[in-house]
Amino acid sequence: MAAIEATDVIMDFGGMKALDRVSIKVETGDFYGFFGPNGAGKTTLIRIMTGQLEPTSGSVRVLDVDVVKEPLRVKELVGIVPEVESPPTYLTAYEYMYFVGKVRGIDSLDDRIDKWLTFFDLEGKKGTICKDMSKGMRQKLMLASAFIHEPKLLFMDEPFINLDPIYQKLLREYLEEYVAKGGTVFMASHILEISERLCNKLAIVNLGKVALQGRKEDLVQGGEDLERVFMRAIGGGLLRRPS
Amino acid sequence: MMKEEFRSHASYSGQERFLTFPVFVFFIATVVALTLERTLETVSLKQMTEFAHLSAFIYGLSVGTFGLMGRQYLERRYGRNNYLVAMPYILPISFKTTFLGIYIRDALFYVVLLLVPATGGLLLAAPIVGYSYGSIGIFFSSILMTFMLGLSMSFLASVMYIRDLRWFGAFTAGVVALFVLHGAFALIPLDAIMPSLGMQMNLRPFPVDGPAAAVYAAVSLAAIASMTAIAYALVEVRISISSQSYANKLPAYYAKMHWLTGIKRALVAKEFVDLRRSGTIAKMSFSFVLPLLFLSFTAWFVNYGLAIPVGFNTVFYAAMVGFVGVMMYSWLNNIDLAEYYSLIPVTVPQLIKVRIAVFLALTLGISAFFVVGIALVNGEVQHLWLALIVMFVTSLYMVLVLAYLTGLRTNTFLFDTNILAKFSIMSFLPDVCLAILSFSLSTNWAIALLGLALVLSSMSVASLILYRGIESKWGKTSFDA
Repeated sequence: MAAIEATDVIMDFGGMKALDRVSIKVETGDFYGFFGPNGAGKTTLIRIMTGQLEPTSGSVRVLDVDVVKEPLRVKELVGIVPEVESPPTYLTAYEYMYFVGKVRGIDSLDDRIDKWLTFFDLEGKKGTICKDMSKGMRQKLMLASAFIHEPKLLFMDEPFINLDPIYQKLLREYLEEYVAKGGTVFMASHILEISERLCNKLAIVNLGKVALQGRKEDLVQGGEDLERVFMRAIGGGLLRRPS
Repeated sequence: MMKEEFRSHASYSGQERFLTFPVFVFFIATVVALTLERTLETVSLKQMTEFAHLSAFIYGLSVGTFGLMGRQYLERRYGRNNYLVAMPYILPISFKTTFLGIYIRDALFYVVLLLVPATGGLLLAAPIVGYSYGSIGIFFSSILMTFMLGLSMSFLASVMYIRDLRWFGAFTAGVVALFVLHGAFALIPLDAIMPSLGMQMNLRPFPVDGPAAAVYAAVSLAAIASMTAIAYALVEVRISISSQSYANKLPAYYAKMHWLTGIKRALVAKEFVDLRRSGTIAKMSFSFVLPLLFLSFTAWFVNYGLAIPVGFNTVFYAAMVGFVGVMMYSWLNNIDLAEYYSLIPVTVPQLIKVRIAVFLALTLGISAFFVVGIALVNGEVQHLWLALIVMFVTSLYMVLVLAYLTGLRTNTFLFDTNILAKFSIMSFLPDVCLAILSFSLSTNWAIALLGLALVLSSMSVASLILYRGIESKWGKTSFDA
């Protein structure tokens, strides 16, 4: 079964086409990497796929749910890590986890909260309000809150940003294990080294259009790395350096 | 900075609609000027001028809250909006320079937004009603000084608030004391607090006393300059990352809300934690109680001070309480950004409805207390049952009008003339009906009661329609729209 199926998605922001007939299919158990330059449309597509934004046209099904018709149902099923870490200002780390857990209808939360706050080394910050946390801590909290209901599908927009090398490694290992156990990940990222190690499928988007997509082993060949494939796909040879 | 301020306001409702706001002000000022002769039959020109200056002073005070707002902007550093006030962190520019820039920006922006179009309206009406252009020029100059007085005072108070709460407390207590000495005890004249008013009162269209006007003008300018200079000298933006640990209150609030089910229970519990920790509950209470006290004082002053038998009674007062409290809903929407809600299964209408419920929980108790108090003071306990119904229905109706029209972005309605017009009509009509009917209670009880029953029923039906309409109006909106 396809975990995600987006067909001919167009997103028009008042004359500016952020996405132009984008079609993507992600199978259950895939670790799907979604890459592109700044402003290519990565975050817009993730927001559409997670029911945060309604597309101008096209269809999106996530875990067999029509996202346009049932955006709330999709949010119930998936975990979302946003591009900007923005937990509520005045809740503590524990309270935010508790809040998300209760909104998601989880009854016994304490074990789950402890598990994820410990995993992300936030147990000492249980009583710290989000306003007083560093960017890295807030990013860890956003990750923890996306995992609390143990979703089968994760949407992650730049999940490694602001994390120190230790937690980049821990998160990478957790995601590998998650996919090995049958989970599915759709991840947008600029960190190509980590992504190359994780993804089995990928798409490169440029100016709102899919420039390249397929299995990693089909696209990254002959001693090339993902960076080279990326540059080739977006015409990166034309990029200029500041003089 | 001017462009940033313009775009910030225009982002609420679009550039065209925002630009219609000064046009709206211009139109209103023209109408007021054209009908001034009739107004002067009941209110003196001196009273009108005092009212205009007081309004300009309060306008200046409200504009100049940069110190408080600036800190809030900076503390919301992980939001999507970054403001130029944060420039000193990354560019070689001092906070003092940025502060001065903001001061000048606010002065220019808000003068152009309101005082200039209002004066334009007077100028348009001048040839028709025979005002002298010179008098309008003098009026603009004096009212500009009053506005700047309020703005400078507010900037200074904001700076003191950040430097030392004791300074802030002493300064605001001093200003409040001056107004109390004038308003309640008539011990000092208003032009001693606002010397620019004294300048106006000594120039056309009032009897001219040039030297006195010059002294008042000099004192005004000196007060503005000295308060600005002190604020500039003392300004300091402190961003503190607190290491304070908080008790996890949310589970306790959640447990208390056992009578609620599903998502609502968690949302309401979180609203109360936010209110408490952000300190908003104190600000909200102050901003609610102050107008109520002002309203009580006005009613008392008109009835007993001026001995004008207007007929302000408990039922009239109850209706006004419902109208005054509505802005509390705006406070609830300004505590924090709401973007994180888009990551969890919550919709905008659900959050709007929760905030309406929290608004009612916060305000109805205080409102009822005031209505009971005014009934006891006026010796109208027999009207109390009716007054409480009026208070409840108007509170519910007003918050639903506001929530329906503005959703989670309540500030929109202040600058979107389309929404402002709708809000004005939807609130003004029942307001007038309730006021007139309340005045009739003493003369024709049965008819007034029947009329009130009709108006309250209509408002209740409208409330139900608005409540149901929230889903269709805001259902497709995202939290960061």
